[in-house]
Amino acid sequence: MKKYILQRLLLLPLMLLGISVISFTLLKLAPGDYLDSLKLARDVSPELIERQKQQLGLDRSAPEQFLRWLASAVRLDFGYSFTYKIPVVELIAQRLPATFLLALCATLFAWMIAIPLGILAAIWQGSFFDRLSSALAFFALAVPEFFLALLAVFFASQTGWLPLSGLTSIDHEFMAPWEKVWDVTRHLFLPTLVLGIGSIASLMRIMRSNFLETMRAEFVTAARAKGLSEGRVLLGHTLRNAINPLVTIFGYSIAGLLSGSLIVEIVMGYPGIGLLVYEAFFQKDIYVVMASILMASIMLVLGNLVGDIALALSDPRIRLDK
Amino acid sequence: MYNSLGRFLNCTLLLALLALSYCIPRDPAPQTRARPPVTEAGFPVSDLPQGQFGGRLILSQLSDPRTFNPIIAEDAASGAIGGILFPGLTRVNPVTLEPEPELAERWEISEDQRSFTFYLRRGLTWSDGHPFSADDVIFSLDTVIQHPSVITRTKTFLSVDGKKFDFEKIDDYTIRITTPDIYAPFLIFIGTNIIPKHIYEQHLQDGTFMQQMGINTPPHKLPSLGPFRLMRFVPGQRIIFERNPYYWTLAPDGSRLPYLDHLILNTARDANAAFIQFLSGKTDAENIRPEDVPMARRLAERRGFSVIERGPSDGTSFLWFNQNTGTNPNTGQPLVSPHKLRWFRDTRFRQAVSYALDREGIIQSVFMGMAVPLWSCESPANVRWFNPNVKSFPRDLARARALLADAGFKQQGGTLQDSEGHPVEFTLITNKENTLRSDIAVVLANNLAELGIAMRIQLLDFNALIGRISDSFDYEACLLGLTGGASDPSSALDTISSFGRMHLWFPQQKTPSTEAEARMDELMQLQLRTLDYNLRKRYYDEVQQIMAREQFFIYLVTPTVFGALRDGWQNLRPPATAGTSLLWNHDEIWRPQP
Repeated sequence: MKKYILQRLLLLPLMLLGISVISFTLLKLAPGDYLDSLKLARDVSPELIERQKQQLGLDRSAPEQFLRWLASAVRLDFGYSFTYKIPVVELIAQRLPATFLLALCATLFAWMIAIPLGILAAIWQGSFFDRLSSALAFFALAVPEFFLALLAVFFASQTGWLPLSGLTSIDHEFMAPWEKVWDVTRHLFLPTLVLGIGSIASLMRIMRSNFLETMRAEFVTAARAKGLSEGRVLLGHTLRNAINPLVTIFGYSIAGLLSGSLIVEIVMGYPGIGLLVYEAFFQKDIYVVMASILMASIMLVLGNLVGDIALALSDPRIRLDK
Repeated sequence: MYNSLGRFLNCTLLLALLALSYCIPRDPAPQTRARPPVTEAGFPVSDLPQGQFGGRLILSQLSDPRTFNPIIAEDAASGAIGGILFPGLTRVNPVTLEPEPELAERWEISEDQRSFTFYLRRGLTWSDGHPFSADDVIFSLDTVIQHPSVITRTKTFLSVDGKKFDFEKIDDYTIRITTPDIYAPFLIFIGTNIIPKHIYEQHLQDGTFMQQMGINTPPHKLPSLGPFRLMRFVPGQRIIFERNPYYWTLAPDGSRLPYLDHLILNTARDANAAFIQFLSGKTDAENIRPEDVPMARRLAERRGFSVIERGPSDGTSFLWFNQNTGTNPNTGQPLVSPHKLRWFRDTRFRQAVSYALDREGIIQSVFMGMAVPLWSCESPANVRWFNPNVKSFPRDLARARALLADAGFKQQGGTLQDSEGHPVEFTLITNKENTLRSDIAVVLANNLAELGIAMRIQLLDFNALIGRISDSFDYEACLLGLTGGASDPSSALDTISSFGRMHLWFPQQKTPSTEAEARMDELMQLQLRTLDYNLRKRYYDEVQQIMAREQFFIYLVTPTVFGALRDGWQNLRPPATAGTSLLWNHDEIWRPQP
């Protein structure tokens, strides 16, 4: 097990290097650089642009820029944002809690709905409930996230029941503590829903098929034959075995939600890293983009690792070391 | 199983709560009305009627500030914050458009019009209690701006021909500033933001000044001299300012302004979101886009606000032909093919194009009647400098054809040909982010088709567009707009002068390539070298006449600005131009509390 984790962690830097080379190249392939918008501003002398270029290191060749960035990134210095003139890490740290909160809510929401639904659909296989939930799940899977987000914004604007965007109201700072919690909850409702619905559908389908498969296993028949109550058979034995594959998925889903929330954040005006990265991308604030890509990659690898470890812990049949 | 699931849930809930508590800022410090006593006589007193203290003003902004550092701020949101926290020696009065005292109580101008002696207001303190003095002024306007580690465009404003101003501290409250030559916009540009020396001197010395005052700066490191000080910045959402208890303008009853307790700048995702927020009563004032005006008018009475027509915007929109006579350094080929360059450099061709354009049609179809035509480089919004007596080009196809015939063009079937038989066709580039612009381009193409000119439209990313017009110069014609600059002709220097980088039709010329450009260069220098407004106006009037006559830029239209203002605001001072907020005097306005 230790050896397996070590292997994975050792591969991480290599993978990150590959990812950074690819993303840096792609960023540099697009025309223009950060200083372009300055070129169309009044009263900006050519010398000023030249000095900025030197200061930001944009006068060097692309490979040299990359190597310099890499050299400092290895020392965990991810550079300064061109636009904000503050360390990229601090910039992302300012926005990360909001994104993390949303990801967490959406994960919890999805799991708490999907697991029971999947189990019920399996137990009542072929019933009206099963067919209805399947139909809804396929529908939810088919609707793209950004479209769902647009629908949610439209719903909010038409009804006025829920806030259109943001994480807090304008007068949030002047509210009593319980009002603040309520305010954040109201703001989180729609983004959580939008982000969670897609995962509910897929999780539910997986849970259902796992559960069905396990129900047909011999040990379940054995448990029934022992005279155990149906409740103990289903929840104690079947669920215990059926949930294993989902433990792995949990790792993926955490990582996926953090990067998957970008589109929802942008469409719904949610103040997380999504909007920051989106703007940075268009302004060619490359180090902000690079750092966020790296962060998402690390999350993905670690998420997978956590999933694998959790699976090994929950299922004694699985050994990570061969 | 239940146990471990329960534990898992507990853990995640705990995490969620932790994250939640991280996101929810703690209670703001209790609001104090106790203000430090007024120590010195001579603080200015508001001449508007006494108002009631309390309440908050909520405005929207379309993006977060990039920095709180006014010296290096490039974007509108950062500039606005600099204006709230860091006033300057002078400011341009939005009503009269003339410079007036701000931190300086008054000034004297020397005989040779090159030395200005500023007498600072006494007894002013930063919002952290530290006294304000001449040292802060010299630090901000000289030491910081001239420091080798600092890159700022303010340096250009505070110099004449690259030579810096001379600063002399006479005493703690008196400064003499001498310019190398007479410098017309001096009193405007010297009003740039003053920042606290006692906090930032050390950062200038250790070379980290450029990274200071970023959006991660804690409020206590941003003491203010303005009516408000920073209370909290919530990234992606809003900035909250609270009253500066040390502010130095007094209400008629002798207490310190501002009347308002808080000022909130809320970041809206886009103009739509900002408009909806205003309609739902969350913000106090908003600019209304032409397409939203009918809806705003319909809702105004019921929702308790009024829609105000504010006149033409101070921005301009125009198209131009690439007149660059240079060659591509890599291939040695001319940047513009020679026969096209001949058309583009012919004033008659440009005038004919201008006569062919249906500006009224653009106003009706693209702006729903809410715009005015433009003929030269100043929008009528700039009432102090706008010259209405310039050549205009109302749609007139007969005159357009006559001008073209005079220049040797002839109709051949449905197409126009030049004297050598080349069909007249060109590609117009514009940026695709701005849909108004692509709509305008379509109208232009239809207009020109009536003359037999084939105009193709190419929509580019903004970055790619800038590359074409300012680096590679590989294009034929371009459609763009400029937002309004400062209300002084000197801000057009870079556009009008042939050596300028923004002289887009042929930038950075060694010597002016036409007589008209030479004359404009001369006029721009003349207006820069006198403090006499009437004389400057005469010079700049002629510049506007030349720009209209020559059609280097073929100016199109500028939209009418509409503002909406929630009912009940008192002590407004209506600004002269649409570019300034209706509620610009944050310190004096108030609204009765419900």
